Amino acid sequence: MSTDWNALDTETFRAQVRDFFEREYPQELRYPKRRLRWAEIRDWTLKLADHGWLAPSWPTRYGGMGLAPEKLIAFIEEQERHGVARAPDMGISMVGPLLIQHGSDAQRVQYLPRILSCENIWCQGYSEPNSGSDLASLRTEAVEDGDDFIVNGQKTWTTLAQDATHIFLLVRTDKTAKKQEGISFLLADMKTPGITVRPIRNIAGHEDFCEVFLENVRVPRSQRVGELNKGWTIAKALLSFERIFLGSPKQSQYALARVREAAELLGLFDDAVFTDRYTQLALDVADLGTLYTRFVEQVKRGETLGPDVSMLKIFATETYSRLANLLVDVAGSSGGTPGDIDLDGNHIDVLTTFYNARPATIYGGSNEIQRNILATNVLQLAG
Amino acid sequence: MSAVISDPDRLQQLDMLRSSALAFTVKESPLSRARALRAKPPGFDLRFWNALASQGWTGLLVPESAGGYGQGFAEMAEVTTALAGQVAPEPVTPVLVFAGRVLQACARNETAQRLLAELAQGRALPAVAWQEDTSGAAGFDAVGGLAEPATVCARQGQSLTLRGGKRHVRPGAAATGYVVSASSTEGLVLVWVPAQSTGLTKTSERLADGTYAARLAFDSIELPASHLLAAGASAETALAGAYDEALVFTGVELLAVSRRMLAMTLEYLRTRKQFGKLIGSFQSLQHRAVDMLIQQELSDAVVAQAIAELDRGCGGDERALLAARVKSRCSEAALMIGRESVQLHGAIGVTDDCDLGLYLQRALVLSAWLGNARMQRGRFASMCRQLAPTTEATA
Repeated sequence: MSTDWNALDTETFRAQVRDFFEREYPQELRYPKRRLRWAEIRDWTLKLADHGWLAPSWPTRYGGMGLAPEKLIAFIEEQERHGVARAPDMGISMVGPLLIQHGSDAQRVQYLPRILSCENIWCQGYSEPNSGSDLASLRTEAVEDGDDFIVNGQKTWTTLAQDATHIFLLVRTDKTAKKQEGISFLLADMKTPGITVRPIRNIAGHEDFCEVFLENVRVPRSQRVGELNKGWTIAKALLSFERIFLGSPKQSQYALARVREAAELLGLFDDAVFTDRYTQLALDVADLGTLYTRFVEQVKRGETLGPDVSMLKIFATETYSRLANLLVDVAGSSGGTPGDIDLDGNHIDVLTTFYNARPATIYGGSNEIQRNILATNVLQLAG
Repeated sequence: MSAVISDPDRLQQLDMLRSSALAFTVKESPLSRARALRAKPPGFDLRFWNALASQGWTGLLVPESAGGYGQGFAEMAEVTTALAGQVAPEPVTPVLVFAGRVLQACARNETAQRLLAELAQGRALPAVAWQEDTSGAAGFDAVGGLAEPATVCARQGQSLTLRGGKRHVRPGAAATGYVVSASSTEGLVLVWVPAQSTGLTKTSERLADGTYAARLAFDSIELPASHLLAAGASAETALAGAYDEALVFTGVELLAVSRRMLAMTLEYLRTRKQFGKLIGSFQSLQHRAVDMLIQQELSDAVVAQAIAELDRGCGGDERALLAARVKSRCSEAALMIGRESVQLHGAIGVTDDCDLGLYLQRALVLSAWLGNARMQRGRFASMCRQLAPTTEATA
């Protein structure tokens, strides 16, 4: 089933995608309040896989939809619009593109079909306890031993590692080189002896991410992707235009609607001070949408995104965070109550938004790192 | 502005216009010129206005049928940007956009048609007089539209009588006359009041940037009925449309001013040394500069969208919401960038000798004019409440 989606005009394609989501996506999973576990999202993910829609950005020869940027944006916008949850997608968004570009034929044959069939669920082993924003300082070590690497160290903030069958790792293979130049990229089966996963409970009470301990883990040399000590380069090259989705206005639009709903129930729009605060944020959300469109148009024209796209992530997540603050404020004395608050029979959850807003300004490169990038690479200020 | 336009021919023409407008303004309107004209009535240079007319810029937006060049808003925005970038004090947006576009909407009227032709030639400098109170808040009604004026126009046979007064009229000096909004038995009317009319008292008030705004008093001014430019629904449409366009072009000017302030500040951060280091290497200052950049780029994005939408012929509520967004964003951004620029310059930033001040003062004037950010937010909120409940998310 290989349809040339790019031959359709975007609106026709968009309508088909929307229709499929509306028909097939489970109603109760729309706009989930937290990251869904594999058991919860499995059926839907398999349905997408059966339909051939699991890997919209992969080339068709590898089983993807081969969508051109404009179509891919429409696909993702429709997902966001319908509130379709994000499945564990590290295999689709990271491992697949990586292997297609830098993997060996054997690696492609071994892994790509299993990603598409959902047999393999991947997680990302990048961050370490002492290597967060300064990722290149990572210390998990891989030493060559016969046909294997022996890996020792610890990864952390590994999203949904407890549901993953495989992990891709950045490991140090040369301790003497400059920090970016001694890193290699390895693929490992989570069942390999020596790998231990410990979920981390977050302030919302969920276990979205984990610590992964690696103790004398033997990874065959055949599982290295790309050249030895070139792992940093290929990991960085993975930063595709999909970065703009970190700056999507959808989350903020959704939060703004929740604020409005709560404020209407509580009659807050009679208060001029509140209305002004609300409108300020409504304008921020509207202008965020316009800025986002500007970057989307750039991608659609086939241009590469520059470092200036960082501003979109900053403004999107900080707008979202301000909305979360307002939502807690609107709830007044109920602002410290987790879960649904009963407002005259209407239920509003304020703290979920507040909790979700916290990591938003941290992940994907914290907003402070994004500001450093903009200062150095866009404003040409001294590094 | 980043282009939202896709037609390659037009983009190329816009590029050419941008280069020639920049070359002209940098050469003919150095900052020393803007500096020298401050607080000396009329606050700008009528000879320079003639030079703009020779460039064809006064007739850029005027249709060819009225002796202009019938260009689009994108072209006008290039010229406006170039002039604002040099803090040129000439009243480009007040005369060519606000008044010019009102007159064009009233062009079935012979007086308006004649004035528009004179405006295109650079001979007429009409100003729109519509606000009446100190803060300008009374200029808007409860649903975010333009309020009914207290100024009254009575018609008796072939003669009109005008009573009342106006404020915040730009240009505040050297205007050749005023397009005055007034209430009448026919609803809203727009009346042409020549500057030398008997019964008209003009008081010029100096603004922060050294230009002027006028306060007008109409003591039973008698005018011929031919000066009634529009009445009723057509007057409302003409004023509302030109008002929205003037908001967008004030945004264009504010964006140009913001860009120059940020550029000057970055230049300073790249050259000034303290503690043996370039101050631009300090992270706290870098992050403040980035926040200025973000505000500048948000302004750029909404201005570019608005110009494209105006060229597309967008109207009604859609145009009004967009224009309020532009004015709100660009006013807040320019004031924020201006304040931060002064702080990052340190004490030199508060001296009159520092060119930064020229831009900051212009930002103060432009952000206050036509309703500041707070008022535009209020209008936006009122308009949204009138419309579908989901407007904010899609506007």
